[in-house]
Amino acid sequence: MKKRAFFLSMIFSVLIAGCSSSGDSADEGVVLRVCNWEEYIDLGDWDEEETIDLESGDIIGENALYEDFEEWYYETYGEHVKVEYSCFGTNEELYNMLTLGDEFDLVCPSDYMFMKLMTEDKLTAFSDGFFDEDIPENYYVRNVSPFIREKFDDHEIGGERWSEYAAAYMWGVTGFLYDPEKVDAEKMNSWNALCDPELKRQITIKDNVRDAYFPALAGLKREHLTDPAFIADPDYAALLESEMNDNSEETVDAALGWLQAAKDNAYSFETDSGKADIVSGKVLANVQWSGDAVYAMDQAEEDGFLLAYSVPEECTNLWFDGWVMLKDGVGADEKKQKAAEAFVNFISRPDNAVRNMYYIGYTSSISGGTDGDAVFEYAEWTYGAEDDEEEPEEYDLSWFFDRGEDEEYMIETSEDQITRQLFAQYPTPEVMERSSIMCYFDDEANARINHMWINVRCFNLERIPMFWRMMIALAILGAVAAFSAYRLHKKRSGR
Amino acid sequence: MKYRFTRKQLAIPYALFLLVFVIAPLVVIISYALTGSDGHVSLKNLAGFFSDPNTMGTLLYSLMLALVTTAVCLLIAYPVAYALAFSQIKRRSVILLLFIMPMWINFTLRLTALKEILTLIEGNLAFHPFLNSVIGMSYDFLPFMILPIYNQLERMDKSLMEAASDLGADRKQVFLRVTFPLSIPGVVSGIAMVFLPAMTNYVVLEMLYNSTYIMGSLIGSYFSAYDWHGGSMISLILLALICIFTLLGGGNKEENARGGSLV
Repeated sequence: MKKRAFFLSMIFSVLIAGCSSSGDSADEGVVLRVCNWEEYIDLGDWDEEETIDLESGDIIGENALYEDFEEWYYETYGEHVKVEYSCFGTNEELYNMLTLGDEFDLVCPSDYMFMKLMTEDKLTAFSDGFFDEDIPENYYVRNVSPFIREKFDDHEIGGERWSEYAAAYMWGVTGFLYDPEKVDAEKMNSWNALCDPELKRQITIKDNVRDAYFPALAGLKREHLTDPAFIADPDYAALLESEMNDNSEETVDAALGWLQAAKDNAYSFETDSGKADIVSGKVLANVQWSGDAVYAMDQAEEDGFLLAYSVPEECTNLWFDGWVMLKDGVGADEKKQKAAEAFVNFISRPDNAVRNMYYIGYTSSISGGTDGDAVFEYAEWTYGAEDDEEEPEEYDLSWFFDRGEDEEYMIETSEDQITRQLFAQYPTPEVMERSSIMCYFDDEANARINHMWINVRCFNLERIPMFWRMMIALAILGAVAAFSAYRLHKKRSGR
Repeated sequence: MKYRFTRKQLAIPYALFLLVFVIAPLVVIISYALTGSDGHVSLKNLAGFFSDPNTMGTLLYSLMLALVTTAVCLLIAYPVAYALAFSQIKRRSVILLLFIMPMWINFTLRLTALKEILTLIEGNLAFHPFLNSVIGMSYDFLPFMILPIYNQLERMDKSLMEAASDLGADRKQVFLRVTFPLSIPGVVSGIAMVFLPAMTNYVVLEMLYNSTYIMGSLIGSYFSAYDWHGGSMISLILLALICIFTLLGGGNKEENARGGSLV
């Protein structure tokens, strides 16, 4: 019998060893472990009809982009790389995965989360070679939009610039997606619409602390933020950013009140259901990220009605998702780092950026230019006016595409695109001026805001008058006592 | 040579399971709950829970929701189980199947359907969050109430009731004095199966647009705010509450042993 137990334990240990060793297959070249948002890369398998026929050539996604990368990597460097691709649902989930010991080499968190990872010294900086524009494979540094590059160079945390650690992937702003037939466009100019009784139970708000705190700040500070003197200030951009990152105790307390009012007024807090609910007509307006708004507007169009997108006049939250390399994964392994950087470069090639944009619906940080104009052509291909359009409108995209060559980046588009998909995908320069990044808060401020957020959602006992609170407590105690007495009595009587 | 497993050996797989997936996580939860964010042992989390009107309010809200849901389930389930158990219909099991069948369909799918139906009836769901949550939960948990009660009633010795009638009891007296007391074990186990999950099943609330937290979502929100210590303490308190409820309702051991209950 002892023998048998020994045998069993042998099987177990072999199994366990087998599981742990299947991860590394050293002779097969480098293994690159990539963790990205769900549905956030072109997974290929397009129909023939989906081919995007641009001037610079046809674009079609046959395989997943990371599979194409493996092939491209072998053709370019003559080495094998194997991409292990996995997904996460929220930034917090990714962070918990990292702290609980999951190892990845390359991940794609949002701005505040890679800031947090930077402060915790969990990231590996890009090599100098990555920024060398003369290396032909360095697509990222040559093709990233100058607007985005400037943001990544200007922002730093702990004395280190974002651009040293993070390569921009997708970006967007926040605003309202609404039904222009039933909601006055004027109303959608302020974040305070969330507390507007005329929209009672007709508007949804995002179900995560940062996307809810931002509108609260903007709504509370509306008068200050829309003051012409404030906007005219030469330091407007910096001042706006400090206002929108205000996490003092008084402000957080005020935000609690604002969000509780919004909770009593809104239809729901949602992460994903808002899009479906506005398309099916359950609600009239959503707080929505620009990329999701594009998707919802497309969806509504298919159902035969139009939705519009608006960015309130106080300000909007400009956000980025960026690729960062993890110290725990890449470490000092130069081969891995090379593969990781090559991955970023490959997906930053303009035609691949277009594939991603088509598949995901969000706006890529890549503007192209140096390696072809595919991205701009794609915008024109999607939103350009039809030939029979009577009065096409000029829409200026130079702020995003111009690399100082004084080239014109104008799209002739139909009038309604100016409040719709094109506007959500590439907002106007005026909107971008009032955009602000919401940074990573330090632990203390973070705890304060998180706690405020939990309190927004809880049923506060103080809503019940003192007298009734006492009565409820007595009733519960009474019920428990009566029940116990009954039990005891039954036991004693020995049935 | 034939090998026979001893009883001890047969228990090994489950013992391993228990160790890895029940005992170990519990130890982790307890150690998180009883330490502060600085790593020192403290009861701050415990005191924090009971002194915060928001967490206490959430507890009360969950209790109320669970109480109303259980009452609704009981009111619907008992008559149904009674009718089924004592009916003369030939294919009782077929009818019983009709009640159980919804359980075979994924419950988020059922809730999505329910959401559309309620929208048709009410118009805008967001005006009645508490009512919708009760409807959603009752819809979800009803089979768990019907089954144990039905089992208990079905296995009951019918001659007891006949005897009561023979001795002069009218129908009302038979029910109140004989049938109902004998069915209590089934009722208790039904209550346990509805009340406890109803306190934590926040998916129902989320899907039916009730944005107020109950215990389940409260714990989740602590974890996503990186407050592992506070979240663990709330889990522990919930566990303690469940233990108390089970102890209060669990005095029917001998009756349960006779069968007819699921717990």
